[in-house]
Amino acid sequence: MLKGVNLKKSFHGHNILNGVDLELEPGQISVIIGPSGSGKTTLLKVLAMLDLPESGSIHVDDWSMEFPISQGKKLQPPWPKVTVVFQQLFLWPHLTLRQNLTLPVVLLYGNEKQNSEKIEELVSLFDMSGFIDRYPNQASLGQRQRVALARALLLRPKYLLLDEITSSLDVEQVAIILTHLKKLAQSGIGILTVTHLLHFAQEAADRVVFMADGQIIEKGGKEVLINPMQERVKRFLSVIESAS
Amino acid sequence: MLFCNVREVKRISVWDILVKYQSAFAGGLAVTFQLAIIVWLAGLCFGTVLGILGAKWKLAVGVPSQILSFILSGIPILVFLFWLHYPLQTMLGLVVDPFVTAAFTLAIINAIAVADVLRRVLSEFPEQYVTAGKVCGMSAWQILLHIQLPILLRQTVPVLLMIQVNMLQATLFASLISVPEIFRVAQQINAQIYKPVEIYTALGILFLAICLPLNGLALLLKSRFTRDFSEK
Repeated sequence: MLKGVNLKKSFHGHNILNGVDLELEPGQISVIIGPSGSGKTTLLKVLAMLDLPESGSIHVDDWSMEFPISQGKKLQPPWPKVTVVFQQLFLWPHLTLRQNLTLPVVLLYGNEKQNSEKIEELVSLFDMSGFIDRYPNQASLGQRQRVALARALLLRPKYLLLDEITSSLDVEQVAIILTHLKKLAQSGIGILTVTHLLHFAQEAADRVVFMADGQIIEKGGKEVLINPMQERVKRFLSVIESAS
Repeated sequence: MLFCNVREVKRISVWDILVKYQSAFAGGLAVTFQLAIIVWLAGLCFGTVLGILGAKWKLAVGVPSQILSFILSGIPILVFLFWLHYPLQTMLGLVVDPFVTAAFTLAIINAIAVADVLRRVLSEFPEQYVTAGKVCGMSAWQILLHIQLPILLRQTVPVLLMIQVNMLQATLFASLISVPEIFRVAQQINAQIYKPVEIYTALGILFLAICLPLNGLALLLKSRFTRDFSEK
């Protein structure tokens, strides 16, 4: 299980995370929703240990770390067991999209035949064959999003954190990724995704987490999206529904 | 070799000058290359160290070296060279070989220019590429080798090569403090036979033969490796 306990993080005196508790079971898809600036992306970064919390603890199966880190203790985050795909994607610009896929896999697992088969499988699944040999700046945002997601999947993560990765995909691509995420969850991967697409959340989520002002206001099953208990969540959902 | 019969040199082509004074030109070129190699090596080594330290410790090293670079950019090389050769040595009561003074001066200028390039490129290196490597489980060494160095080299090598060509050309200033490099030799030959057009054309051809391939290499590397990375 990936678990964050009482996570606190501030920036320039402003509380971004204000004692957040979150659990992600293997095989589960948790969806974080909430208004902009509510701390969703920061929470992902903290859980991925790219941004360290000021206090609290993070547990990944039998690995755990208390914050602040006590003197003499070194942080060795369990990457890529926990890995992230960011909204900004961060593909390496000097490598083609195919090289972006192969480099970390080859470095981690060697030049195995099953890796190249897996790459070709993902290239086909995400319909990337038409642009896979281009450089990142020669591909559209939607194409780059598919490559970034494929790169993370090739690393055989146990917990996959996704930050708005469907933001530039068309309906068909969102559907493909949704299907694939469900398959990944069935294979035992825990997925935590931030999204602003309510229908994506409704389709994908086993658990829904609503965040506002650096806190988790409500969490539960899909009922959070249909019949929320908290007034703040109701307000947010009604604004989204009226806008769409 | 420099002393010739005036009647002999009345009608003389550029090629004739290059052939006739080949040993003098070769001697001058040897000094020029010695000077250039010292300036290149010292400038690249110290500049690299200064650039890396400047990017790592911005306040302690980066800002002072930026200020030094700003000041030096306002002083012509010739003035800086003359100042180090004449007034400074008089003030300190020193007599330093002009070759050493020229090498020291140009090496400082080169080091500051190299440090400027490296500090800027290192400071502006997009951290997200390192982050992506980390979450992909790559070690710090693998990130350095496969991500940071290739991107940095693509950005810096063509620029550094251009700077080194400029430094080679700047070695000509050493002639003005009596270093017997190629320009000084050309001046001496001209003093003997007074054929400025032919002699300085010959000098130009020599420099073209040396600098053009280096400039070409810089352009080739630039066009091949420094693609526009900006995303749509």
